[in-house]
Amino acid sequence: MAQRSEAIPAVRGRSELSLNRLFVAPAILFAAFVAVPLLALAARAAQEGDIFERLTSPFVLHALRLSMLTSTLSLLLALLLGVPTAYLLARNRFPGYRFVTLLVELPMVLPPTVAGVALLVAFGRRGIFGGWLSDISLELPFTTAAVVLAQLFVSAPFLVRSLQAGFESVDVTYERVSATLGASSLRTFWSVTLPLARPTLISGAVLCWTRALSELGATLIFAGNFEMRTQTMPLAIITAFESSAGLSGAIVLSVILLAVASVLLVLMRVALKRGALPEAV
Amino acid sequence: MITVDIRRRLGAFALDVVFEADQETVVLFGHSGSGKSVTLASMAGLIRPDAGSIAIAGRTVFDAARGIDLPPQQRNVGYLVQQIALFPHLTAAENIGYSLTGWDREARARRVSELSVLLSIDGFEDRMPHQLSGGQQQRVALARALARPVDALLLDEPFSALDEALRGDLRAELLRLRSELAIPVVFVTHDLREAYLLADRIAVLDEGRVLQFASREDVFRRPSSRRVAELTGVRNLFEGETDASGRVVVAGVRFCVDAEVAPHASVDLSIRSERCVLRRLHHADPLPANCFVADIVSDLAFGNSHMLTFAPLGPGPAVEVEVASRPYEVLGVAAQQRWVIELPPADLHIMTR
Repeated sequence: MAQRSEAIPAVRGRSELSLNRLFVAPAILFAAFVAVPLLALAARAAQEGDIFERLTSPFVLHALRLSMLTSTLSLLLALLLGVPTAYLLARNRFPGYRFVTLLVELPMVLPPTVAGVALLVAFGRRGIFGGWLSDISLELPFTTAAVVLAQLFVSAPFLVRSLQAGFESVDVTYERVSATLGASSLRTFWSVTLPLARPTLISGAVLCWTRALSELGATLIFAGNFEMRTQTMPLAIITAFESSAGLSGAIVLSVILLAVASVLLVLMRVALKRGALPEAV
Repeated sequence: MITVDIRRRLGAFALDVVFEADQETVVLFGHSGSGKSVTLASMAGLIRPDAGSIAIAGRTVFDAARGIDLPPQQRNVGYLVQQIALFPHLTAAENIGYSLTGWDREARARRVSELSVLLSIDGFEDRMPHQLSGGQQQRVALARALARPVDALLLDEPFSALDEALRGDLRAELLRLRSELAIPVVFVTHDLREAYLLADRIAVLDEGRVLQFASREDVFRRPSSRRVAELTGVRNLFEGETDASGRVVVAGVRFCVDAEVAPHASVDLSIRSERCVLRRLHHADPLPANCFVADIVSDLAFGNSHMLTFAPLGPGPAVEVEVASRPYEVLGVAAQQRWVIELPPADLHIMTR
């Protein structure tokens, strides 16, 4: 099968060349704008003498452990709820479809602090479901569970949106053929649809996870800032920044998150490249 | 054995299809939009008809009145589509073995290699679909459709995405396979030559209805209506009247026909262009029966044959005559404009209007 790009031969025309020359300056400026602060952060962290000591301080370790735990949990929950949702949205048009789509997209554009307030109003002690929740002796606010819920609220939509587009790009012919080959609907989904949507599953999951990892506003309002219970890395950075340690405390924590995010991004690229599907035939 | 008797409405389009298939190849033939693919998809369980019933190998897979509608995975048919649709993330062997769930590893491997040999794709088992040529892909798809024991094979224009040479190969392959399979095969196509080559029986579909369901010989030589004749590529269709002695008068010429016809009726008379006979004109002789004189007005060369259009000199209809290249040259058709045309009684077909 011919690559699609071969359909239009690449011609290096004059217009293309002149456009390149025109656009190169803003592009360099943009790259520098992103690179300079990140390099500065790394350089400053290297100057801090007792960096290893601080990396292993209980304050940092607790925040790191909590961040990993909660963001991973919220990713798992997002997968559990988001994969079926994305599939339904991709394959069906039902009454209220636009409303559901709006619901899925809203948390992505909503300021996280607003999400936090909304969660508190719904599930807080004096919230709509607060009384009912405390009747079954379940208190959410200011617990680790609240951190997970806050992260889920703001991050799951990234998974759903990405995966929905992925499912939509899977030709239903494959699913039909699978069914005529005797495969149950669930097997068709598991061994045809999901593998074919794998790139979007990976990128969606990474986006979701990193968004959960960086969650601050909603967590602060709904879960609070309690060391060992709700103080995730972003909250720890704020806390350190406002404490006597000031900037130097925040720097160490920031460098850790920077490293984690970089590693994740690289892993995602590798996974996507290895899992890249050839042109559909 | 397959029996199909279904109806389905979709906006202005109404499908109403009845046919059956024994251990034979039935071709659903018609233009795009005639309802042949919808019929096949209904049999596979991908489309739900409004009414009627479908039985495959003695098992009712759909019956609107009794509320039976088996999902595709329970219908046990092989279904092959034009898009080929090999799973792009699986190797050729994994594609072929896809339906063999519940088989142990060894039996599955044996079945896959058996089919690979049968369809001459052995050696390509470990390739991904995009590494296979179009013809190999369609062979793998056919092997995949046949891997588990199926009660019927449904083919929806499976070769139309391939180039002519490959199509020829795969048609020959299917003809060879047919006797080994011993199951009903339903083949959808809009290609007249393909239909004739593969069919035992042909169902001619037009606007959602089966106009004629008969042996391929009957459909080609004895179309049931003017529309079937048109659809199956009959170029010579004349309106005529029968006389008292059962001959048919067309444009002033009385033609004898083999069939018994009612006197004084309006009929359509048809003859395929390749069944018309050219004779040299000898002015002294009286014209034999079923003959008239005509001039060539156009001569289209198709390489293996010529399509000649004749205008009658006196009485007689305008006709198109197809002459194979060799007789065309031996007869010296190019050098002679005026010919006697004979429409043999055995090849003239009468349709009542």
